Amino acid sequence: MQALWNWKKMTVLGGLIIIALMPVFTRSPYIRHLFSVFFIWAIVVSNWNLIMGYAGIWSMANVAFLVIGCYSSALLSMHSGLPPAICILLSGLITMLIATLFIGLPSLRLRGIYIALLSMIFANMLPDILKIFRYSTGGSMGLPEVPPLYEGITTLQSYYINFAAFIVLLLLVYAIIHSRSGLAFMALRDAHEMATALGISEYREKLKVFALSSFSTGIAGGLYVHYTGIASPDLLYISTFLMAIAMMVVGGMGRFPGGVLGAALFVFGGEWLRMFGLVRLTIMGGLICIFILFFPGGIMELVERLDTRIIQWRSKGLAPPVVE
Amino acid sequence: MAKQPDRTDPILEVSDLDCFYGDLQVIRQVCFKVLDGDVVALFGPNGHGKSTLLKTIGGIHPTANGSVRFRGQDITQAPVEQRVEMGLVYIPEDKNLFLDMSVLENLCMGAFNKRARKHLATGLQFVFSLFPRLAERKSQSAMTLSGGEARMLAIGRGMMSRAALLMIDEPSIGLSPLLKKTVFEAIRQIHSNSEASILVVEQEVDYPLKLAKRIYLLSKGRIVLEKQAGEINKAQIEKAYF
Amino acid sequence: MSSYFVIDLVNTLLSGLLIGSLYAIMALGLTIIQGVVRIFNFAHGGMSILGGYLTFMFLSGAGFNLIVSMILSCLLMFVFGLILYRGAIVFLVKKPNWEIASVIFLLGLGILMENLILQVFGARVKEIPVFFEDAFEFGFVRINHHDVVLIVFVMVFVLGLNLFFSRTWLGRSIRAVAQDIQGARVVGVNANRTLGFAFGLASAVTGLAGILLASKYYLTPQVGWEWMFKGFIIVVFGGLGTITGAIFAGLVMGLVEALITFYGSQSWVWPAWFVIFLVILLVKPEGLFGRKSASY
Repeated sequence: MQALWNWKKMTVLGGLIIIALMPVFTRSPYIRHLFSVFFIWAIVVSNWNLIMGYAGIWSMANVAFLVIGCYSSALLSMHSGLPPAICILLSGLITMLIATLFIGLPSLRLRGIYIALLSMIFANMLPDILKIFRYSTGGSMGLPEVPPLYEGITTLQSYYINFAAFIVLLLLVYAIIHSRSGLAFMALRDAHEMATALGISEYREKLKVFALSSFSTGIAGGLYVHYTGIASPDLLYISTFLMAIAMMVVGGMGRFPGGVLGAALFVFGGEWLRMFGLVRLTIMGGLICIFILFFPGGIMELVERLDTRIIQWRSKGLAPPVVE
Repeated sequence: MAKQPDRTDPILEVSDLDCFYGDLQVIRQVCFKVLDGDVVALFGPNGHGKSTLLKTIGGIHPTANGSVRFRGQDITQAPVEQRVEMGLVYIPEDKNLFLDMSVLENLCMGAFNKRARKHLATGLQFVFSLFPRLAERKSQSAMTLSGGEARMLAIGRGMMSRAALLMIDEPSIGLSPLLKKTVFEAIRQIHSNSEASILVVEQEVDYPLKLAKRIYLLSKGRIVLEKQAGEINKAQIEKAYF
Repeated sequence: MSSYFVIDLVNTLLSGLLIGSLYAIMALGLTIIQGVVRIFNFAHGGMSILGGYLTFMFLSGAGFNLIVSMILSCLLMFVFGLILYRGAIVFLVKKPNWEIASVIFLLGLGILMENLILQVFGARVKEIPVFFEDAFEFGFVRINHHDVVLIVFVMVFVLGLNLFFSRTWLGRSIRAVAQDIQGARVVGVNANRTLGFAFGLASAVTGLAGILLASKYYLTPQVGWEWMFKGFIIVVFGGLGTITGAIFAGLVMGLVEALITFYGSQSWVWPAWFVIFLVILLVKPEGLFGRKSASY
């Protein structure tokens, strides 16, 4: 497994170093902004991957959770006296509560496809809820003057704060996958009766993962809203939702780096594609279709296949022929 | 009056058949035939491939090697619907009834193939005469039938197809002794009233032995015994089981 | 009760009936596909607007009259459904994770369709002309001719579809395949061909529903998603795979929506749909007319 460790971990390390040093190479606020957007989406999609791929809950509402996080933190910071940093943490909790109440708990009783429908309609009705309470939420116009994380924050500082959040929250996802809960899910997936006989409670594990993921997503939302200074329902458009799905499917569902990869692809690649205008969304749709038909494991699946090839190539000629 | 079929021609001829479930070989080099107009019984312990054999001949399960000839034609690669149209009909052990349809609708669906559609009315008449219980429950949903009635419906539906060869998979399994008698009596009547040949797969030995002209025994996916019905008795068959 | 209240109520109920019957026919295409392959058609939105845009194209582009345009559009939608089945669905149902895979594939297809239509037709609202301009008047109650024609059309269509499924060999074979595919095979039904036809039929019905809805309201590339989500709720509410259920649920939801829109506001509509959906899923997930089965 030497080859495995070397090139994959090197890429990750290299990537992190590049990101950390990026502001040294370019002062362009546009590029820094792009990276911040990437950080946020990487967090959202990785957590979504956790819910869908590991816990097996087909929630389609994760972008909605992001937006709930945005609005909660914005409203809290604007109306209570609390500093934005605290508001972000609280918004994580609020998102977790709402998400678990409307999607998490029902998911314990319902079949996957119904959760998908329920969550989609939940996300669909959110703009209307915002409109109903338009005096507080600004309705379809949104809230334009959300205070920043602290006064006088610079783009450089924002960049590193978002980067730090990216690392921390992704480590959290990683920790969940490799924790007892992660093992529990694999056990539940592979040998359901045995796992439950051993006392693994599917309900408890699912709820735990769902709660943590929605909490992280809410935090990402809070971070995002104080970074951009605007809370807007535009994120709830179907195009954003579909982009998030594309990120997950193309990156690789059920595989940890898939979320990050997909986010990178569509945030950076999307900018490039913006040149083509509306074709962008068509290409996204096409990519989703092609990938789900032929590469259901996304790019990560291709990476894994490449990995196996490399191992085989490396060990060719080194091992003696195996006697049957 | 049923036409006297030519009793030297095989209506079904299976040669060197191999079947797999994934990597597991279930049917090994099976050769047997059914002569036109005969009743043939295939016995064997559970799990030794009886159902798989019928499913393969019926076209539901793929053939790995070997051939199946029906009325002189090679149908090894033919799809199920083509086999049914030609007159080769399989009645599964699972019954596979249309649960949201009534008894009558299920029977009508049995006559789906083009040859049988013209004889819908006479077919129904025949089935109801064999299974009066079904006539009583004509408009009831198939979901409400008891196990025995469901079995009768499955056989009745198969009969509606005006098959030349009817393959019945474990017709009496799970039935009470009285129902077993009814079912085999019905099979006997099907045989005497129509030109159909019949291939019955069963665990139960008594009734099929009385009906059949020829018997085969399938053990671990191979044919281990082939006899005319008069040449063997129940005890000998059961001994060969183990 | 003031007479205004009664008039308003009657008008609201009538418009609810109209919306409801349109929703019902919208749900039919979903019901058929759900019934035969147990998949929720997430490209339904795209397919409904495709029907509408095709008709628009024939009407304004080629100058055909309304009936011809509608028939041509439905025929093209039928072919579309066939191709969709043969080209993609056949492969998707064989996969081990077929449920989520087909959801995602059809979603992607929906985006694709929406955006292709956007490219070709532009984002401006399109209109399919109202069939008739006048209205009946009974006292203070006013019913458009157009609305009446729509309701009658939908009723006749649903009746026709019911007869098709219960009296014709093809219709019965579709039901057979939906209920027990192996059973259908052993009686001689060509399952693949039948499924393809069912898809084509569902696609044509969906396109037709899109045309009708577009004629009553308007047509933009985005409006399909709303119709689709409501269609899903109706299908679950009424009971998976039952046409009667879809009709009934469609009518009920239409009435509910009309009442809420009139006595509340437009913004309460979606929250109401959500709450009703949640309640149904928790209380009777198999729907009003659905069968309780192990898969719930």
